[in-house]
Amino acid sequence: MLTRSKLGIVTLGLGVALLAACAPSTDASGGGEGEGTTIEVWSWRTEDVDEYEKIFDAYEAEHEGVTVEFKPYVATEYDTILSTGLSAEGGPDVAQLRAYGGLQPLCEAGRLVELEGEDVDTSAIPDEVLGGARCESDGGLYGVPFASQALVVYYNKAIFEENGLQEPETWDELMASSQTLQDAGVTPYAVTGKDNWVLPMLHDLFTAPRYGGPEFEQAVQSGEKDFTDPDYVASIETMEEITPYFPEDVVGVDYATAQTLFTSERAAMYPGGSFELAFFQQQNPDLDLGVFAVPPPPGAVVEESMTPGWVDASFGVNSTSPDQEESLELVRWMATQDFGQMVSDELKQLNPVEGVTPNDPVLQEISQLRTDSPTPYLLLQDFRYGEPTGTDLMAAGLQSMLLGDADADAISADLQKGIAQWFEPGA
Amino acid sequence: MTARRGRGATTRRPAPPFPVLAAFLVPALVLYSVFVVYPLFSALQYSLFEWTGTVRRSFVGADNFVALFTTFPLDEQLLSAFGHNVVFFLGTMLIQNTLGLTFAVLLYKRHITRRVFQTLFTLPYLVSPLVVGYLWVLMLRPQFGVLNAMFDAVGLESMSQPWLGDPGTALPVVILINAWQWLGFPMLLFGAALASIPEEYEAAARVDGASTWQAFSRITLPLLTPAIGTVTVLTFIGSFNLFALAYAVGGSKGDPAGAIDVLGLVFYRTAFEGGVNAIGVSSALAVLMFVFIFGVALVANRFLRRREAELS
Amino acid sequence: MTTLAPTRPAPTSSPPTPSRRASGSWRGIAVLMLLAGYAVVAVGPLLFMLINSFRPSADIFNDPLGLPTELYFGNYVEAWREARFATYFSNSVMVVVAGVALCTVVSALAAYPLARYDFRGNGVLTAYFIAGLTLPIELAVVPIFYLLGSFGMVDSRLGLVLVYAATGIPFSVFIMAAFFRGLPRDLEEAARLDGAGEFRIFAQVMLPLVKPALATVAIFQFVQLWNDFFFPLVLLRTTEKYTLPVGLTNFFGEYQTDWGAVFAGLVITTAPLVFLFLFLTRQIVSGLVGGMGK
Repeated sequence: MLTRSKLGIVTLGLGVALLAACAPSTDASGGGEGEGTTIEVWSWRTEDVDEYEKIFDAYEAEHEGVTVEFKPYVATEYDTILSTGLSAEGGPDVAQLRAYGGLQPLCEAGRLVELEGEDVDTSAIPDEVLGGARCESDGGLYGVPFASQALVVYYNKAIFEENGLQEPETWDELMASSQTLQDAGVTPYAVTGKDNWVLPMLHDLFTAPRYGGPEFEQAVQSGEKDFTDPDYVASIETMEEITPYFPEDVVGVDYATAQTLFTSERAAMYPGGSFELAFFQQQNPDLDLGVFAVPPPPGAVVEESMTPGWVDASFGVNSTSPDQEESLELVRWMATQDFGQMVSDELKQLNPVEGVTPNDPVLQEISQLRTDSPTPYLLLQDFRYGEPTGTDLMAAGLQSMLLGDADADAISADLQKGIAQWFEPGA
Repeated sequence: MTARRGRGATTRRPAPPFPVLAAFLVPALVLYSVFVVYPLFSALQYSLFEWTGTVRRSFVGADNFVALFTTFPLDEQLLSAFGHNVVFFLGTMLIQNTLGLTFAVLLYKRHITRRVFQTLFTLPYLVSPLVVGYLWVLMLRPQFGVLNAMFDAVGLESMSQPWLGDPGTALPVVILINAWQWLGFPMLLFGAALASIPEEYEAAARVDGASTWQAFSRITLPLLTPAIGTVTVLTFIGSFNLFALAYAVGGSKGDPAGAIDVLGLVFYRTAFEGGVNAIGVSSALAVLMFVFIFGVALVANRFLRRREAELS
Repeated sequence: MTTLAPTRPAPTSSPPTPSRRASGSWRGIAVLMLLAGYAVVAVGPLLFMLINSFRPSADIFNDPLGLPTELYFGNYVEAWREARFATYFSNSVMVVVAGVALCTVVSALAAYPLARYDFRGNGVLTAYFIAGLTLPIELAVVPIFYLLGSFGMVDSRLGLVLVYAATGIPFSVFIMAAFFRGLPRDLEEAARLDGAGEFRIFAQVMLPLVKPALATVAIFQFVQLWNDFFFPLVLLRTTEKYTLPVGLTNFFGEYQTDWGAVFAGLVITTAPLVFLFLFLTRQIVSGLVGGMGK
């Protein structure tokens, strides 16, 4: 009978619900009486679970009674989960933090422990790197940076050899090599036009010397120059020399496809970040790859190749963590060479701590390029403190350029217009 | 049309005694008010304040709303996103709902194969929209995608386009993907509505000499008005709240080049990729979206009820 | 349907006349082909997913049209063991069944008077319920989080069930009201004359007539909740309590996605829905037959 079965479902449903309610809800973090402390570390790197386990095993071996639990959340939702987690109980003890502008909502809301006041020794980390973990409002340090990134051009050694090419020393050589490759039916550069966050990276990678790299950064910060400066506009125009060598219908090529073009050896070069090395090596261990820095384009303000980079992530402490002392201990350890070396070896990331040398030869080379001639990835580092961000504006602009809808003047004008809404030079 | 006396769908009985009425309404009211209305109301009210992260600061009145329309490039994106939502709604009504009705009609007369087809057509609905988006992106890749590979294999190279990479084709393709996924929904609704219309009505008309099409359009179709109205209103709401599919296909920016940027994505960007005052600005957008969608849905609902009354 | 007044006696439900069948058979075949054609379109991508769940991720990418060279079960192993699908599965069942049951019951109860009685505030209440439809509930995730916190229900599956049930109410009320509205008066009048109380009329006369609607609403709610990954991710903290979709998100890395594992996870996640769907559509059919056989 209907009523009876309806009743049946209802009872079942409520019974199940009751059961769920009766299941003990363990509190997630802390609980460190007697047996030892558990420190929960949150991160957005779901792909690094195994590596972090290894790293934290080393820490646990040296610290009796402490267990470190690594809990990653899918990167796209991480910021929401972290901000709700930090503002209520059941949050992390230690959390991976975004750098520069991405850090501000958290540090300004007072959710994080200021580290310099807590005796966290960051002397082994260069000052500019620490800048990525500082709060704009009070200048305090809220995280220990542990991963930096650098931009280089990866290339397939086998394809280069086949076509009689070598690492280009001049811009003209680079262009000639690209042409040779294209004529031979090989896609010169594997690039995504669809996931446009990559495009501003390419702009700095290829043309930073054209607008003057670090000196330009200073000029913009002080208000002496802005993004409509002729050299900067020219640097955007320079991109138009390279785009003919991008894959066909590049705006339809997404990030994963671009990566696959390179790893499946259908493209010769991949301009990208140090964060992609681990993936390339894993996808195609037989791929013989090398890296080089882009030679300065003609008319460059600074006549040498530069390697753009930035601080990617740091680890900070939740100000409401019940295990603050142990958490701070862990974070102190994260500023040491021991941790840094493991980050470099296991995670294949560039670690900024002094004395850390990557044992992977390619990573070594990238690190060297970066030390030789660094320049900031300008729009990410300095222009994410407000809305709209510099990277978003440039990404949209360059994508329009790929579609033939915008030129260098329009792009730089839009960039300036957007940033001028919140950026105060000289601040 | 035969008289519909006694069907009185709109004349209603005076209410039963209050305790009985309350018994019917209270459980849903309480659950809904506590867990949906109150939080939504709070969220909307957030729009009147300025925020640093998750900490509320001062009351700023309409400032957040003004920011929506005066910040570059947000103002342009807002307008173009709204346009895309409109196109999406019209496209979906045209494709998804007419196909859904067609299939529902074709199927409700079949008894053996109906459930087979119903299940097959509705299967895509069972997969999360986010994953549907990712799946289709994977299949429509220009270089490594299944669809283009198939076209090439049968010699139709001209069809081997970057479907989701060309700003001109991206939105129509997304409409099609969405229709593919949700076809089951109007189909089932119409199917259920058709199921409650006795076959005698149409059969009677045919005995009277009407053709199948006339019988359908003059008798069955008007009786489907409540269902059509429901589907339309729900499609409207769904079209303007669209998020998961657009996100999966175009990322948070509605790529390529913002061709599939919709209000839901703009909200997502301002809320989760916004700066320090993300909660303030995104709540303001939410308020505007709510006022618009709710306003139109309410008016549409009233209008449809009146039409139902007229037709009965 | 005794109070209906057609101008001639209504014929009993009869199969199409022979002449119709002859010309209709061509049309029948055309219709069948159309239906079958669309069935291929509908199911194709899902088959693609199923086939590829048996291939390692790298293969899927490099050779999209390829078939598995051998049945690779690694993806399923990864999904079931490493992503703890067994635990997540039972959590999903618990939470979603409870949520849908609760939601359907309270919504049917509320939709009935809104659809069939005149009373002051009917319009307002209807609008009140519809309002919930027009905003995606994700907007309110932060206040919901704090609300549950004040009940001590963060990281509680009961909290999740209540939120799920509540968020389904606007849709369910909307649909059920539409169906209740379309029901004829006569049976109701007859039962009332027999002396039945309102609740009995509702439960024993009207509710059975809207079985198709009940099943439809239940299916839609179930699918939506079963696939939701957002709320469990934000409202639950202990890994043991997570639901299936959350498990799936583990395969989406920051820069790369483990497609093989995602597909395997999807097959595991979607299979129960298919069975449930088949079961519930049978309810729709039986409801239809029951409704007609008065």
